[in-house]
Parts: sequence; C-alpha cells; structure tokens
Amino acid sequence: MLELIAAVRSDGTTGDTGDDEDERSGRSRWERLRQSDFVRSAPFWGPPFLLMGFFVYAAIGWNFLLSLTDYERFQGPDYSNLDFGMYRRMLDDPTFWEATQNTLILLIVFTVACLVAGLLLAILLDREVRFGRGFRTIYLLPMSLSFIVTAQFWKWMYNSQFGIINEFFGLFGLGPYGWLSNPDLVLFSVIFALVWQFSGYTMIVYLAALRAIPQDQYEAARVDGASTLKLYWRVIIPQLKPAMVSASVVLLLFSLKAFDFLFALFDGYQPRKGADILSTMMVREAFARSQWAYSSAIAIVLFLLSLAVIAPYLYQQHRQGNL
Amino acid sequence: MRGTAAAGVSATALLAGCLTGGGDGGDGNEVEVLHGWTGGDGADAASALFSAFEEEHSDVPTNVRPIGGEGNQALDQVVAQRLQSDEPPSSFAGWPGPNMLQYEGVLGDVEEEVWEEAGLKEAHAPEVVEICQGPDGYSAVPIGSHRMNDLFYNVQVLDDAGVDPDSIDSFDAFVDALDAIESNTSAQPYVNGLAPWIVLQFWAVTMLGTQGYDAYMNFIEGDGDEAQVRAAFENVEIVLSDYLNVDAAEIGFTEANQRIMAGDAGFIHQGNWAAGAYGEDFVYGEDWGNIQFPGTEDMYGLHFDSFLYPANNPSPDNTHTFLRFAGSETAHVEFNRLKGSIPTREVPTDRFNEYLTQTIEDFSSAEQRPPTIAHGLAVPQSTQSQLEEAISNNFADPYNPSAVASEFVSIV
Repeated sequence: MLELIAAVRSDGTTGDTGDDEDERSGRSRWERLRQSDFVRSAPFWGPPFLLMGFFVYAAIGWNFLLSLTDYERFQGPDYSNLDFGMYRRMLDDPTFWEATQNTLILLIVFTVACLVAGLLLAILLDREVRFGRGFRTIYLLPMSLSFIVTAQFWKWMYNSQFGIINEFFGLFGLGPYGWLSNPDLVLFSVIFALVWQFSGYTMIVYLAALRAIPQDQYEAARVDGASTLKLYWRVIIPQLKPAMVSASVVLLLFSLKAFDFLFALFDGYQPRKGADILSTMMVREAFARSQWAYSSAIAIVLFLLSLAVIAPYLYQQHRQGNL
Repeated sequence: MRGTAAAGVSATALLAGCLTGGGDGGDGNEVEVLHGWTGGDGADAASALFSAFEEEHSDVPTNVRPIGGEGNQALDQVVAQRLQSDEPPSSFAGWPGPNMLQYEGVLGDVEEEVWEEAGLKEAHAPEVVEICQGPDGYSAVPIGSHRMNDLFYNVQVLDDAGVDPDSIDSFDAFVDALDAIESNTSAQPYVNGLAPWIVLQFWAVTMLGTQGYDAYMNFIEGDGDEAQVRAAFENVEIVLSDYLNVDAAEIGFTEANQRIMAGDAGFIHQGNWAAGAYGEDFVYGEDWGNIQFPGTEDMYGLHFDSFLYPANNPSPDNTHTFLRFAGSETAHVEFNRLKGSIPTREVPTDRFNEYLTQTIEDFSSAEQRPPTIAHGLAVPQSTQSQLEEAISNNFADPYNPSAVASEFVSIV
C-alpha cells in the first residue's frame, strides 16, 4: 500500500500537502527499513554479534585501556591519567626483549618444523603403506593429549639421569645433555616436544588435501617420466598451498599462547632461562607480581602479533572471494 | 518469526545470566574459606581443622573450597580474581608478612574482634604476632609453622659413608660430609629440584649459616652487603655444581625427597614439609634424621601459613568466629599434628610425633627466628618473583655468583 502511495505521489497526480508527503516519506523509509534483510535477519546475527562484541572485542578494548593506566596490586585502576608508560617500560625491560626473541624463534621454528614433519608424514601415509590407518591414528594421538600430560611425559624423556633421549645419545658416547636446564638447548627442547604434539595435526590437514588431488595427475606425471621426487615437488606440493596456509595460521597462533605447556614443564610462572616467552611473562607479571597494567600491555603486544599473523591470511581469503 | 524471537530472548537471557552470574559469595552468613591443601597430609590436616570447627561451632555454616595447584598458584589466581571483582571470600589461606602488601587496601583489620578478644597476642610467639600485622592492620591469623633450616638425611647412607651428622658444625664440614658420601657410597650426596624458589631457599639458609643472622636480616631489610650475598652464593654453587643430582632441573622436591626415602641420596634441604612425606614406614631416628643447616643451630627458620581476612567481608561475624578458632589451641593441634608443621603458640605436645615435638621445643628455645624469603614472610611477593627471575637468569646451571649477587642487592 505504501509503495502504491509513493508511486502515485511520484506521478504528481495527487493534491497532498507537504506535511503529508513528509509523513508518508518517513513512514515509507521506516517500512523499507523494517522489511530490509538487515533488520529481518537481526534476530539471527544480533545475539552472537552482541556476545562476541561484549566478551571479545569489548574485553580487548578494556584490556588496552588498562594498559594505559598504572594499575597494580588490588587498588583498582585509575582511568583519569592514561598514558603509554607501560609500553615505555616494556622497551626498557630486557626480560621483555628476551621473551619477544624467544617467542619469535618459537613461532618460526615450530611452525616450519611442524609443516615439514606433517608433510612428510602425510606423503608417506598417502602412498598406501601397510597399516596406514594405524599409523595415522598413532601420529594423531599426541594431539588429543592434554599439555599437562605431555609436559610431564617430556620431562621424563628429557631427564638428564634416566631419560630415554640421553640414553639414546649415550649409545654414541654423547651427553648427557641438560635438555631442560641448558639455556642454549631449552627452547629447542620445548619446540621439539611441541612439534611432536602438533605434527599429527598438520599431517591430517595435508592428507585431506592430498586425497583431493585427482589420481590422473599422478598418472600423467608418471607418463611424462617424472620421478617420485619431481612428482611431489613440481605437481603435488604446489597444490597443497591452501592447506599449508591454513595449517600455518593455526600453528602460528598456537605458538603465541604456548603458556600451558611451559607452565606444566617448569612447574610455575618462571621458565628456565632461554624458554621465557611473552605469554609466560604476561601471566607472571599479572599473577606473581600483581602488575596488571604492565601485564595488559604485554597482552596487547601478543594481540598485535596475532593480528600480524592472521591479517595476511584474511586478506588472501578476501581476495579469493572466500570472505 | 516467533522462533527467532524466542532465540533472541534466550540469548539475551544467557547474556544477562553471564553478566550477573559472578562469583559464589555464599548467602551472607556462610563462612567461605579458600585454601590450597588438596592432597596428602595437607588435605587431612585441613579436614581435621574444619571438622573441629564445625563441631565447636555447629551454628556457623561453612563452605570450604580447596583449590589445588603447584605452589598455591591456582589458589592465588582465584583469590586475585575474587578480590579484583570485589567478591571476596570470607577468608583464604595465604602467607602473612610482606606478602600481604600486594593486598593492601583490600584486607581488613581483625585486631579487636579476633586478636584481642581471643587473647592471641599473648598466646603466639612475638615474631608471629608482628608478621601478622600488615598495611591494613592485623589481617592474618596464624595456623601453623614449617621450619626452614632443617637438613634431612638418610641414616643408612650416612652410616655407609662414615659420616657422623652431629659433627657437621660448619659449612666446610658439610662439604666434607658430601665428599664422603660421594667417595664411599653410590648414593647422590645432595638431592633436590632446581626450581628458582628451591635455589632461593637454599641460598637463604646458606646465607644464614655462613654469613650470619644479621647479614640476612640486613639483606631482607634492603641493606644487604653484596660481598656477603656473593659469598653465600659461592657456597651454594659448591653444593649445586659438585654434589647435586644431574636431573635437578627436571624433577621437583617431592621426587627428590623420594630418593632420600629410597636410600639413593644422602642429604636434602627443604622446609620440614619434607618430613611429612616420610610416613610411618620410614622411621625418624632409624631411617632418617635431621640436623640444622650448619651455622643455624640456634635459629628457627620461620615460615608460617595463615588465614587472611578480606575487607568488605561477606560474613564478618562468622568469619571472626572462624579466625578466633583458627588461632586457638584446638585448631593448632588438630591441624599441625597432621600437616607435619608446628603450632605458633604453646600447646600440649602429647599428640605430636617425636620429630615435631623436638621442633616445637626448638621453636620455643630458638635465639632467632629469621623469616623465610622464599615464602612471603621476608619480602613482598613481587620482590620474591624478581629474585627468582634473577636466579633463573644467572644461577641455574651455569652458575654466576657475582651476577646474581649484584642483581639481588639491586632488587631488594
């Protein structure tokens, strides 16, 4: 009906006053808005939008606000004097730089090692080896274990006195090494344990992508005389790029928050020298020192690092029309 | 459309529920107590304590919430969240002394309603009374003390090594004893974990034993002498680098203590909670023994647990009743005889074992009771954390006594 009125009015054939026109125009806009997809779909997207907005983005915003205060202990934050003092303090803190360096090493080495190990496992399993399903389960199993369990497990494995790793090196007359006590080794010991736990995940992601590649591509490459190495290097692996990108994002984001593994491995907020990362430092500053504002500032740095990891992925997805 | 409206309403209700859910602060009458004694002798002791309270005060409803976790970290985290959100429990277990500085402004004063009304100031040792006073007044009530200057040993290992523990009257004599164990037995001379707090505690007892009570007290009061701090670290280095188990970084003190029980190691230094683990089959005097760390024979290394009283208390009257009970003779006997700790007040000793009875006598007769640095009684929590970080950075194999001593003096 309103559409009809609007149509008649646009013909100029009616003698309505200007006030009536305004009123009708307003009603029309309101009606259009009410009938729009945006409003009609609001009951579906509105509640999750509000929940996400409040519990995720408002919390991040509040965290940033806290990082601008001098909040420590339990006196409550003072929002009247906001500045970047905590970020300046961070720049002068050698522990922060060491934790950042360790975080970046963990980020890069862990992700690359997981991708390579996962790829090799996936290719082996894709070649229809005997007991392939059993191996797949075995490789994936560590992923299902809690970090508390795997940390204790690796503590025993790395034990300098009776750990199986030092026993192994002992066969060649090497060691024993202080895998968890030597500052030069400890971060790589942590990375190795995490790769063990996560390479099963990357294997599954790669395996799914490998299974999606049509068999005739393998056959065509064989007909062309490609060796196995060339077949994978030139034909198969380039097609695994989307799987690699999505697995990388998950691994990179995980490595930024590997707190619980380190907490369990070192029985507390203070890892051994060489293994302190930003997430352990953040929790230590908050809960061992009650430095809430400083801890919030570290959390913001971690958040920015996460954004730096995920933004290129989102941009790529957007360009491909997947978002 | 009706379905979507219902979904919207449910989501809104869920949101409202999340926003108003908050903590479980009880009904305003119930005494809600958080503590970290979730296993072994600690759990038994806490159970005996609260059973005795409920028996004596059956009219006071209680809600006791044990929160487990390494070194009370989970408990501290929950307490921090409750205090920050202004939903404090009625009381929580925590260290008194400088440790209370972190809670400044959110703890209450129970001097009149608890300390004076129950006569606790006269009943408890003067150092204990003083340490229970924080920036908000008397906010803590002691529940039991662990001794921090014991050196435990396996009798058989020392016998095999030809070491007479009573002859260890100096640090050099202690090193000689370690040498003898290494030379004459297959046991590890000294066993422990290498967590920063364990090294900090070992440094503290070495500082007391080799540099003296005044040097230690000057240090914790911020007037430390770097040369003395370094000298203590150099002594610690001798023990840790030459006689400690090689897997110290991978094990905790519980596993280390099991090696004493198994006869695989000679000595361990820990708070006397280590003795609580020995049980009935590992007999005091026959299988294990203790001496004071050489140089601290006249001291009692003071650690004690307490219940802290938050301001804005949800059940002030009943919490006062509970805290008066916590400082009482009944509570101290019931709790400490099972916990492996001792009362901080005079009590009949007939229900305590031989070792604890001896420790109670030592507590009474000690010339000095230096507060522990690794458990909140000597320095604030943030300072303790920085000291542990300094140890982790400079004194956890490889050992650098000069660097860590310099950091220690600058931190405190």
